[in-house]
Amino acid sequence: MPEYMLFIVILLPMLTGVVFPILPIKKRSYRLLFLEILVVLNSVFVWMLLLNRPESGFTLAHFTGDLTITFKMDGMSMVFAGLVSALWPLATLYSFEYMTKEKRENMFFMFYTVSYGVTLGIALAGNLLTMYFFYELLTLVTVPLVMHTMTREAILASRKYLYYSIGGAAFGFIGMIFMIIYGTTLDFALGGVLDLVKIGDRTNILLLVYVMAFLGFGVKAAICPFSSWLPQAGVAPTPVTALLHAVAVVKAGAFAILRLTYYCYGTDFLRGSWAQYVTMAIAMFTIVYGCSRAVKETHLKRRLAYSTISNLSYIIFGATIMTPLGMVGALSHMVFHAVMKICSFFCAGAIMHQTEKHYVHELDGLGKQMPMIFGIFTVSSLALMGVPGLAGFISKWNLAYAAIESGNPLAFGGVGCLLISALLTAIYMLTIVVRGFFVKSKVTEANEKQDYHDPNWMMLLPLGIFAAAIVLFGLFSTPLVNFLTDVASGLY
Amino acid sequence: MYGNIWIGILILFPMAGAIISYLLGRKNKLLRDIFADMIVIAEMVLMVCLWVAFGSGSLKADWLTIPDICGMGLSFTLDGFRVIYGSVASLMWMMATLFSKEYFNHHHNRNRYYLFLLLTLGATMGVFLSADLFTTFIFFEMMSFTSYVWVAQEEKKDALRAAGTYLAIAVIGGLVMLMGLFLLYHELGTLQMSDLKSYGMAGNPHSLMEYIAGGCLLFGFAAKAGAFPLHIWLPKAHPVAPAPASALLSGILTKAGMFGILIVSCSFFYQDTNWGTLILLIGVATMVVGAVLALFSIDLKRTLACSSVSQIGFILIGVGMHGLLGADNTAAAHGAFLHMVNHSLFKLVLFMAAGVVFMNLHQLNLNEIRGFGRKKPMLNFIFLMGSLGIGCIPLWSGYVSKTLLHESIVEYTNLLGKQEIVPSLLSIFDMKIIERIFLLSGGMTVAYMLKLYVVLFVEKNRNAKVQEQFDAQKGHYMKPVSAVALLIPALLFPILGIGASSLMNRIADMANSFLCTSSPREAVAYYSIEDLKGSLISIGIGVILYFVVVRLCLMRKTQNGTEYVNCWPRFMDLEDYFYRPVLLVIFPAILGFCSRIFDAFIDTIVVCLRKTLYRDSKLPYELDEGNALTHTAGILANCLQHLLNIILHRSEKKNVDYEHLFALKYSKIRENSTLISRSMSFGLVLFCGGLILTLVYLILW
Repeated sequence: MPEYMLFIVILLPMLTGVVFPILPIKKRSYRLLFLEILVVLNSVFVWMLLLNRPESGFTLAHFTGDLTITFKMDGMSMVFAGLVSALWPLATLYSFEYMTKEKRENMFFMFYTVSYGVTLGIALAGNLLTMYFFYELLTLVTVPLVMHTMTREAILASRKYLYYSIGGAAFGFIGMIFMIIYGTTLDFALGGVLDLVKIGDRTNILLLVYVMAFLGFGVKAAICPFSSWLPQAGVAPTPVTALLHAVAVVKAGAFAILRLTYYCYGTDFLRGSWAQYVTMAIAMFTIVYGCSRAVKETHLKRRLAYSTISNLSYIIFGATIMTPLGMVGALSHMVFHAVMKICSFFCAGAIMHQTEKHYVHELDGLGKQMPMIFGIFTVSSLALMGVPGLAGFISKWNLAYAAIESGNPLAFGGVGCLLISALLTAIYMLTIVVRGFFVKSKVTEANEKQDYHDPNWMMLLPLGIFAAAIVLFGLFSTPLVNFLTDVASGLY
Repeated sequence: MYGNIWIGILILFPMAGAIISYLLGRKNKLLRDIFADMIVIAEMVLMVCLWVAFGSGSLKADWLTIPDICGMGLSFTLDGFRVIYGSVASLMWMMATLFSKEYFNHHHNRNRYYLFLLLTLGATMGVFLSADLFTTFIFFEMMSFTSYVWVAQEEKKDALRAAGTYLAIAVIGGLVMLMGLFLLYHELGTLQMSDLKSYGMAGNPHSLMEYIAGGCLLFGFAAKAGAFPLHIWLPKAHPVAPAPASALLSGILTKAGMFGILIVSCSFFYQDTNWGTLILLIGVATMVVGAVLALFSIDLKRTLACSSVSQIGFILIGVGMHGLLGADNTAAAHGAFLHMVNHSLFKLVLFMAAGVVFMNLHQLNLNEIRGFGRKKPMLNFIFLMGSLGIGCIPLWSGYVSKTLLHESIVEYTNLLGKQEIVPSLLSIFDMKIIERIFLLSGGMTVAYMLKLYVVLFVEKNRNAKVQEQFDAQKGHYMKPVSAVALLIPALLFPILGIGASSLMNRIADMANSFLCTSSPREAVAYYSIEDLKGSLISIGIGVILYFVVVRLCLMRKTQNGTEYVNCWPRFMDLEDYFYRPVLLVIFPAILGFCSRIFDAFIDTIVVCLRKTLYRDSKLPYELDEGNALTHTAGILANCLQHLLNIILHRSEKKNVDYEHLFALKYSKIRENSTLISRSMSFGLVLFCGGLILTLVYLILW
């Protein structure tokens, strides 16, 4: 396929989003149909690009020197772009039904679709400058989505999100500057692009800058201690929290860290250094921290947000192992967690949409009235715990295997953190399931008096597809894992 | 998929049947009951056919591999042990399902119960037929989750609490087991049981990492088997689960845990004396704890549950001796295996008999069910068979297995004395003590089974009217199907016991390859004087314990006779007073404290920065009147005035507001100067002044 298609798939959603509010179509269902068709079309284009990969990149603009805005599709781009484009049409379909109860949906869909383009921009970025540009753009485009309900909490949450993200990107900028100076090129290449001759004996400075860039990009990836924006961003409507804050934004942060570690600095430079130990320790701490906070949290969406914090650090832990196996583990968890988390968030959103209940202790006995939703929630809970036969087990196994194979003593502790986190995940996810199906209390009686039922097909269809995907990935993951192993060994 | 597809069908068939029966059950309940019965009967028939084919050697292939599924692929195999245990499992499921129909006659959520009953059957077959530890782990976890629903079935508060404990232990055990699997995979590069066996039998000394891996695996499997100190879920979960489910929990699911322990101990740690000692000590602790708890309990099913814990201890002793005895470990291996089989069947019969009691009375407290069994010969016979079996009375099947276990201990002590064997950490003195404890526990088994038997079938209820009601139920308390379901296993016990040498030896020999042992050199004489002596000592201890401890200490005189009391001190509940406080209170407090510090960390930094470096600059202070000079001068003058007021003690205090005064003066001055400076005359004056200065400059310089 021609290379300019790389730019088209980024531009098309952005144009669609911008045009959407001023579209001359009056009837709501036709407008939404138009939007959905364009989103699906864009996803089809992305998958066609995946299957017929253009060999070279597409340069959009030249700045001074060799600073360019370039798009290129290599192995990691394929994974992230494929994942995002597979999930976005389903999320858009879900949000149609969800937004019937909210106001100002034109603005919402505008920013929602523009974010699609911007996320693809991060995925398809061919060098660090392009990725940084779209990274900042993603923050700006998602702030209105977080602020959408315009309540006091939403405004405060979006302000915090903005501060944290821009602050983090500033540190990432420092990393980028050092790459310009000490790197042979700004493009991404597996194994790193550092010019060791130029560095000489200034390795410690480079390692410090790596840690700073890691923390900077890690703000979006919600590592402790910069993670408190994520639970607070739960005030946004569920399609936003689910897609952006469980799939697009946070995965973009993890993606950036993976690019930084494997494609900019290169693992040979970083492995065994103090920077690896520091970053691995941060990731391990965040894993346990996220799960512990989730256990104590009673608000349903905030509990899932803390779970996201923990699971993202699985991906980052895989990245900090700094071996090809670690990259395979990280990428597999990136893909599987996106599906599992978006499924959980959408179930939670469906429950909140149907029953207006936000807290865990209000959900007793609802499983009998909404069996489909709770059934799918059970599937995603078991998958997040890592029960064998479902998708989460595969990625956890890959991560633990990579950790033990690396021989790094801290990584063994990391496996222990993974297992403790699995136990805590069991506690905070299964409590909801057990309360929904088994507990009989006063709350159950109050719930039974109301007439709650499963939502309509526009919400159930994406959920069903996600649940089926979780089971299928759990059983037949080998083709995907083989593909990821090829990506990690530099085949693409 | 390569190999014998019937092995896969054994596992998938009940699972598919479960889903179909659930869907059927939403339409027609009777049809679903019949369908479920047919599924389990078909499973049993299939298993028996496979046994026959295996025995006659006409099996196409005794393995099945499904590559690339669930990550690492699944593999199954069929050998003597698995054939027998698969048959035992199918038999137990068949009897339990047939009994369930009557037991659940008036219950809710039967559809859910049947669904998970059949799913667990499939998962359990998966565990027993697995050929590598990865497959075992997958089906083990599945079995844990589907059997959770059994315990939570009644949905009462204590049922949910016990179910929560069960699930917690299962999940924690599963995760530790996963850690063990990772470590083992890293050390050996494979998880296939045949590779583990060849590695173990090669005789290399084990590294520390292998011990840690084995320990983690042991933790996981022992949690399911109910070994001390992870036995806490058994006494709580069994009384609240429905009786057929209790029978299966106690009889088969614990044995699935034992299956794992056998793999780790018998093949991987073959002839490792350290490991054998560890298992032996765990076994002794479990055996004693279980027996004591059972003796003190006053709930029928709780007694049986604690009895299960105790019997698991016996089996673990056999496994431990297998490791310690070296090449001559046949007695230990056969004893452990036969006791597993026997105990499964004993608990099936006993729990279902308890189910009959519950079904009619909805009570399990010993004081309430007293005298229920009088004048009910069928129930009497069934319970008697079970009790005699588990009490290891000669001529019943339990005697055979316990004798083998006893013999293994005695043989080891003798070999230690003659110094013909590698010594481990235990001396002859320790082994003698262990033997005494073994006989004592055997006695305690007799004691509590005697207690139960006497309560049900000999004593009369304190309330005579209730006793009349019980007597009137003669002939109506059990449907024929249930009676048959209970009778068939019960009849096996005397048959197996009497035909010991031929039947039980042959069964035990089938498991030789799995247990890494061989047939004994000389035939075991089960009815020799020494063995009979050991058994009679146990029985004697039991009877004495009954009359002394039970009748004197555990019963209390009340108005209408005696009643059974629960003397067990409340604080000795391991779960409520140790595990729950530590895991649910202390750990979260520590973790929560650390988490809150980190959570507030960045926000604190931001707040500090905002108050210092990024402080909002002050708005220019706008005065209402005057400028800064008049303001300061005015304030100074005001202060001076105030001071003078105080110092000079004037009678009338001067209270002029100098600030205002100065501000007024200032504004007047400004006004005037504005007027002047904007006037023509001022401009002319300045112009003249400038001219004069220019002239002066020109003239003088």
